[in-house]
Amino acid sequence: MEIFKADVVIVGGGGAGLRAAIAVAESDPKLKIALVSKVYPMRSHTVAAEGGAAGVKKPTDSLDYHFHDTVGGGDWLCEQDVVEYFVKQAPVELTQLEHWGCPWSRTEDGHVNVRAFGGMKIERTWFAADKSGFHILHTLFQTSIKYPSIKRFDEHFCVDLLEEDGRCQGIVAIEMGTGEFMMIEAKSVIIATGGAGRVFRESTLGGIVTGDGMALAFRHGVALRDMEFVQYHPTCMPVTGLLFTEACRGEGGYLVNKDGYRYLQDYGLGPLQDKPKNKYMELGPRDRLSQAFWYEQQKGRTIEHPTLGSVVHLDLRHLGEAYLRERLPLIYEMAETFMGIDPAKEMIPVRAGVHYTMGGIKVDGKCAASLGGLYAIGECSSVGIHGANRLGSNSLTEIVVFGKLAGDEAAKYVKSAAPGNSSSLLKQAQAIEQRVMALKTKTGGTERISVIRKEMAQSMEDGCGIFRTEDTMQATCDKLAELRERFKNISIDDKSSVWNTDWLMAVELDYQLDVAQAMAHSAINRKESRGAHQRLDGPNEAYKQRDDVNFLKHSEAYYVPGSAPRIAYGDVKITKSQPAARVYGAAGEKADQERKASNV
Amino acid sequence: MSKRRPYVRSMDGWWKKNPFYVEYMVHEGTALFVAAYAFTLLVGLVRLGQGEAAWTAWLEALKSPFSLVFHAVFLVAIVYHAFTWFKLFPLTMPPIIVNGKKVGPGVVVGSGWTAAVVAALALLGLVWRIAA
Amino acid sequence: MSDTKKIIEIEVLRYNPESDKEPHLEVYKVPFTDDMSVLQGAQYIKDNFDGSLTFRWSCRMAICGSCGMMINGIPKLSCETFLRDYYPNRIRIEAMAHFPIEKDLVVDLSGFIEKLESIQPYIIPKEPRTLEQGEYLQTPEEFNKYIQFTSCINCTLCYAACPQVGLNPDFIGPAAIALLHRYNMDSRDGASEQRMELVASEEGVYNCSAVGYCSEVCPKHVDPGNAVNVNKINAAKDYFLRFLSPKGGSK
Repeated sequence: MEIFKADVVIVGGGGAGLRAAIAVAESDPKLKIALVSKVYPMRSHTVAAEGGAAGVKKPTDSLDYHFHDTVGGGDWLCEQDVVEYFVKQAPVELTQLEHWGCPWSRTEDGHVNVRAFGGMKIERTWFAADKSGFHILHTLFQTSIKYPSIKRFDEHFCVDLLEEDGRCQGIVAIEMGTGEFMMIEAKSVIIATGGAGRVFRESTLGGIVTGDGMALAFRHGVALRDMEFVQYHPTCMPVTGLLFTEACRGEGGYLVNKDGYRYLQDYGLGPLQDKPKNKYMELGPRDRLSQAFWYEQQKGRTIEHPTLGSVVHLDLRHLGEAYLRERLPLIYEMAETFMGIDPAKEMIPVRAGVHYTMGGIKVDGKCAASLGGLYAIGECSSVGIHGANRLGSNSLTEIVVFGKLAGDEAAKYVKSAAPGNSSSLLKQAQAIEQRVMALKTKTGGTERISVIRKEMAQSMEDGCGIFRTEDTMQATCDKLAELRERFKNISIDDKSSVWNTDWLMAVELDYQLDVAQAMAHSAINRKESRGAHQRLDGPNEAYKQRDDVNFLKHSEAYYVPGSAPRIAYGDVKITKSQPAARVYGAAGEKADQERKASNV
Repeated sequence: MSKRRPYVRSMDGWWKKNPFYVEYMVHEGTALFVAAYAFTLLVGLVRLGQGEAAWTAWLEALKSPFSLVFHAVFLVAIVYHAFTWFKLFPLTMPPIIVNGKKVGPGVVVGSGWTAAVVAALALLGLVWRIAA
Repeated sequence: MSDTKKIIEIEVLRYNPESDKEPHLEVYKVPFTDDMSVLQGAQYIKDNFDGSLTFRWSCRMAICGSCGMMINGIPKLSCETFLRDYYPNRIRIEAMAHFPIEKDLVVDLSGFIEKLESIQPYIIPKEPRTLEQGEYLQTPEEFNKYIQFTSCINCTLCYAACPQVGLNPDFIGPAAIALLHRYNMDSRDGASEQRMELVASEEGVYNCSAVGYCSEVCPKHVDPGNAVNVNKINAAKDYFLRFLSPKGGSK
């Protein structure tokens, strides 16, 4: 087996992973960095993010406002000290991206422009047209090429972590081009593998978003925190799930039901506004908007499209073609190419779809996991800034703020870390190789992975959707247990070594089943509604409410081999913002004023 | 030992496989006609230098059916050559900014044609006047 | 829902390096609905007929650049090409041209990645600026000079289109030169001179014979052909101005 020795190995080459690699390289050019990704870095799903990255910019804005918007947006499940760090570093890191060439959209006088975004009091979302993630990713990838100490292992699929003496000491990966296993021994491992939304049926996510790093950390005893909180984005293309950015609403788009009525005013987001007003109507937080879709559907007020199913309409017509082509060029093309719709002339059918995993690998405020030398950043992590619901444009900022932090931390850690026992690690790696190879070579199975994958995705949508009940979630938990059993009986068509994606997709499905179980079991055990986890049940419908007495806590899922995960609970760090009623629209403005008056 | 065996496909006959490439080869091929016509003009120049008898014989030769067919073919080829040459302007030229906006490809190509036609007419007019 | 779905024949150029001497065509009969892309057709084959069919894909929305293929001989992104536009005729899909085939629809892109990396695709600042000083100012006019060339998703359809790349695999090619041009034209960058050597080299812009197919197939309207041809002018200017001033005349 090929062995590569590095100081830091980073798994995942998206925005977070690249930023961490650059941070390590700048911190100490003598450190050897291995950047491992199952796709070329520019294919990472960061590329599909559209709207922008939040960071205080306007003189009328403040770190305090950003802090309170984020904590309230997270329904008070955020680690507030971490949020304070986050909002402070945000403008610094976004400026760093600009220095590296990121083509942020500009005002007439040449400064970086900012736009309105859901749940944000003041405009603070830095944007690059409606391809912000694309531009951030390409800027980071191209900048990373400057550093000779970053060695990339493109199209290398990570199949396990190496753990010894309570430390994570490297990884084992498959070189996809040859099917051969290799081992990277390192003093520190940073996981930046992204979210897990593909466990659901209809999502904005690319095929690679399968929760790989989450499952790996999980299996090595690290908790997956707050996994029940899955974000539904209110404006996705029906059937494909492709994303129509929140910026559509930030620029002034409306959401209307079958009567042409802007229904969000009925859900605590009013009163009706002519122009986009921050935290009102279409600029409310994503969980509220997705929940409103569900209610409209129950009331029979959604449009029942013959081929697309239940939808509402995103109306951008009043913005005009010229403005749309300038500010929202990507979504304009998407509507034309995929739906045959000209957004300047017709309304776009949309509905809520899975978009983001708030939960993930539990790490502290320095991105360190409970396993020594292991860090996690970006969507795969739960560092504590999103709580029960993420505000749009906080995650593109998250990847650079915590990418930098984790890179610096890992660089410090390796200076004092003792070298590992190479021969012992090699034995581990060889055992891992045998296990993963067996998945490919075994015969006699009768299950197809595509069938198991589809059943998992349908079950997650049915049981862990926007609204949940004990029955629906239990059905999903049972189904996942069944699929786990049936997975043992899979048969893989492709027995070859070179580019065997049949085999690798089976490994991904294995990861997804573990992550799905963490999500479903965390969900059924949270007997309250908070943020993106909403229930319709409970004695006297008790679980429809937020329960700060019993559930102002993080859920922590722990892996139990061959069984359902064990769910435990952890405290939430509260500093400046005491849990309050989560309100938007006119009620929200009133609450803000009251809070200001009492000087909190 | 790696099991990779990358397969390299042949480029033989590449230009026949796509109508875009066929057209490319055709319009590149018209350059040969431009060269042929330039050679014809050169011959004419030499004949002019060889005295009145040679020149008159040359003019007679130009009127033959053979020559007329050749010239018709040259004309079509060279007009197509000019057409595709102008069509390539947006590809080959740096952007032209007027009043802060980039000039569109239609305008660029149109301007090229306009300039060419005006120049051709002006030259024709001049020669006509001299001949008259 | 109608249960008599339309069936389209998808002909795929298959190649398994471990068992095939050379690539060969196989036909699959795929039931489809009008909204299905060619990518979804390939996924249907993989899920239901042959799990060994191998292809790159991810975002499904023409932004990640993974899913390029030759579709009836034309380089396209399979996620935004639709089966309904070919039905009832047979559709043929093959790996992108001008790259070695690793397996089925997967090509060896390592050469392309090396070319991208070789052009110094990062800001080498004209003037230093600290983070405390905030962003570099960039007017809309300066912004418009380079922004078009930032749209490249590295899908390599332009390489599959360019016959010069096919005939001379060392040619750095359209996307790499477009990226080089993007940095040269960015007001924050000061390294055009450093990049000129590569532009004017054996592997550089003079390999281009203005076929223009690269710009024709580019799904993001980057117009890489323009970047290449404009740099022919830049390289020529630089060459001649070198006689006048020892540092050359670039930018």
